[in-house]
Amino acid sequence: MQNGIKKTLFIVTFSLLSAQVFGHGDLTKRINEKTREISESPKDFRLYYERGLLYQQHIEYTKAHEDYLKSKSLGNTDKALQYRIAEVNYLAGDYNAALKSITAYLEVNGSSDVKAKKLEAQILFELGAYKKSLYAYRYVIDTMKDLRPEDILEYCDIILAENDKNQEVALEAIESGLKLLGPNTLSLQLRKLDYLKNSGQIEKALEQYNYFILEYDRREFWYYKKAMYLAEMKRPKEAIISLKLATATIDRLDMKFKNMNAILKLKEQIKSLEAQLK
Amino acid sequence: MIKKITLILIMLFTVNSFSQTATVDTQVVTSEKNSPSIVVERGPYLQTGTPTSVIVKWRTDIATESVVNYGRVLGALTKKETNRALTTEHEVALSGLTPNTKYYFNIGNLTEVLSESVSGDMYVITAPNPGTDQFVRAWIIGDPGTANAFQRQVRDAYYNYVDTTATNTGKTDMMLFLGDNAYSTGTDEEYQSAFFDIYDEMFKKSVAWSCLGNHDAYSADSATQSGPYYDIFTFPKEAEAGGTPSGTEAYFSFDYANIHVISLDSHHTSRAIGDPMYNWALSDIQNTKQDWIVVLFHHPAYSKGSHDSDIEDRLIEMRENFMPMLEANGVDLVLNGHSHSYERSYFINGHHGLANTFSLEEITKGGNTVGANGKGDGKEDGDGAYQKADTDPEGAVYITTGSAGHVSGGELNHQAMYISLNKLGSCVMEIEDDGKGGQNMVIKFIRETGEIDDYFTINKTGVTSIANTNEPKSESGKVHYVAGSDLLTITVDRNERLKKVKIYNNIGKLVKKSRKKTINVGKMPKGMYAIEITTKNGTYIESVTIE
Repeated sequence: MQNGIKKTLFIVTFSLLSAQVFGHGDLTKRINEKTREISESPKDFRLYYERGLLYQQHIEYTKAHEDYLKSKSLGNTDKALQYRIAEVNYLAGDYNAALKSITAYLEVNGSSDVKAKKLEAQILFELGAYKKSLYAYRYVIDTMKDLRPEDILEYCDIILAENDKNQEVALEAIESGLKLLGPNTLSLQLRKLDYLKNSGQIEKALEQYNYFILEYDRREFWYYKKAMYLAEMKRPKEAIISLKLATATIDRLDMKFKNMNAILKLKEQIKSLEAQLK
Repeated sequence: MIKKITLILIMLFTVNSFSQTATVDTQVVTSEKNSPSIVVERGPYLQTGTPTSVIVKWRTDIATESVVNYGRVLGALTKKETNRALTTEHEVALSGLTPNTKYYFNIGNLTEVLSESVSGDMYVITAPNPGTDQFVRAWIIGDPGTANAFQRQVRDAYYNYVDTTATNTGKTDMMLFLGDNAYSTGTDEEYQSAFFDIYDEMFKKSVAWSCLGNHDAYSADSATQSGPYYDIFTFPKEAEAGGTPSGTEAYFSFDYANIHVISLDSHHTSRAIGDPMYNWALSDIQNTKQDWIVVLFHHPAYSKGSHDSDIEDRLIEMRENFMPMLEANGVDLVLNGHSHSYERSYFINGHHGLANTFSLEEITKGGNTVGANGKGDGKEDGDGAYQKADTDPEGAVYITTGSAGHVSGGELNHQAMYISLNKLGSCVMEIEDDGKGGQNMVIKFIRETGEIDDYFTINKTGVTSIANTNEPKSESGKVHYVAGSDLLTITVDRNERLKKVKIYNNIGKLVKKSRKKTINVGKMPKGMYAIEITTKNGTYIESVTIE
């Protein structure tokens, strides 16, 4: 999420500098159309809200914010507007204003709005209020009807931001995510592997590599990845065994796969690692 | 008179037994016997078809139980799947089906049948087993959701095509929607008028798949997987239809016969390299053994239509981030919408830059096009089909086909495109034997008038995946194993004394030790093993497959 801040700032800066270059196709036309409608009905708060949404999609957050405020000043009391004001503040990196807006939204509309709670958690995270962020995100995890793997991963990011030694807690979150989304959900299994490696649980990390090897129809990439890890862990003989199995798996592939660029590259990588290990 | 009616009925039944696209006026007789008290407002429609299962969905005006009666014989629907919970949004999974088999069905509740087709136009044909080499037809529909006459004309042109085509008449194995299925904001009402009301007849006999379009996303939220798009569609999150489990309906994959289809979310989900969708797509494509790989997502990697792939961020990110990975792993066809036109590329590979940097004359790093025919029209009766051989599996065709409901023009001059048309239409993909042990993927652009304004063929040799059973030669020449034998033999040079042999299984676990030159492996599970041989001269590691 720290990268998220940089990414957001970059996008804002970049879009301000080069809005003309980074177009969004028919959004520009729709914004122009909405501007024309506003010129005909300048007191219609609905139009400002709609144009604000378009500006937001166009990554023109300042203009979106201005339109939302104008819509509010003209009498728009819809809760969707309140949410959008918080959201656009968050996207623009004004986290204090975003927190103020989302808090007001949740006070008025009740704290059971899962989407708003998620935004609150994301804002709190950016403000470094990790415990509060965790608390809000926990609600999202417990309440959201259709969680995505991305939600579980974001929750884990907050856990580790709050305390980077909490790999075990993050792992528990991944395990509960696997129960919710399916035991073989790839991005969660990949993250589990990362946490096991990062927390120095070498044998468990190797078991996790074995999980991928056994679970997948094509194993050559996983054998190689396991060999890389074994090499890093200074276990060259096991690494070589894994590389041999990778090579043997490639040898048994259908010709069309053997000649794909990804496999040709993998063969070079195997050769290179083998040379290093000898 | 009675004889005449009987004859007509027999003829109708016969026609409908072979046709999936009967028009409302003539052939479809979806009866509602005895005027049911509950009205089916939507569907039935088919989701997540696999070789052994399918999901049937429909909507009623009043909450009631969900019942699907089904069977292989039209007049004898002897099997039943029931959900007793009262609902207006019905979703029933049929399982334990036989692959590649036609099942007729009707829907209802515990007391009555609410919708059926006495003429046999409500059925599912289960998917063939993965790897099956057979004829497959997919209807590809991009940006259709206008609910206007144009959309109907495009639909009718396809229906007419499939009902009159000489081979596999009436067969539509799947519908591939490329997003923006209901304008302008993808609401439930808009989906009703621009989606269900339009394609109702086809939905009852062909499984519909989709990717998320930006207009669907106005009312759908991928972050919470809520809204009409996610409510209407039921896609496989746990690889129920093949592929790798994504854990989300926003992006997923499925197998049909020997085709692997990957559907990506180019709108809401992060398109960054290393983020979950990218990691999933990479693992998914590197795990398939299917002969054909088709990828669909809404925002086109290459377009100079009503959207410009040189300046729009989503389009650029899909091209720059996803295309190198998909191409390196053998993608054959990429289907996009968003621009309301038809733009079809040459047979290309490795060009991920701006439109004006694409050149047919470029030859460095293999060039922008692939093979002798890559810069031709791809027509068997023209410059020749695009070729994809075992020994040279590169090359894909990119199609932006977003004119199934309207056209919006644009410069239409992307240099990677063989043809760019500001015309209404949809595409059909047909995979068929080439008569030489390979297969042809034939794509046609069918105008709303019924004319075919473009077509091309990708020919692929060696499509039948035959496991390579040839044991690779032992690198050191010390390991000898004959498939089916119980004995593994280690050979060492005369002056090289064998000290020990260790056998590791397919996850590198030591499972056997020996000091003998002949080792009985008869009781070991079949599979791949690594053999570590230590002699007084050194250590050698080889692999062997015990069969």
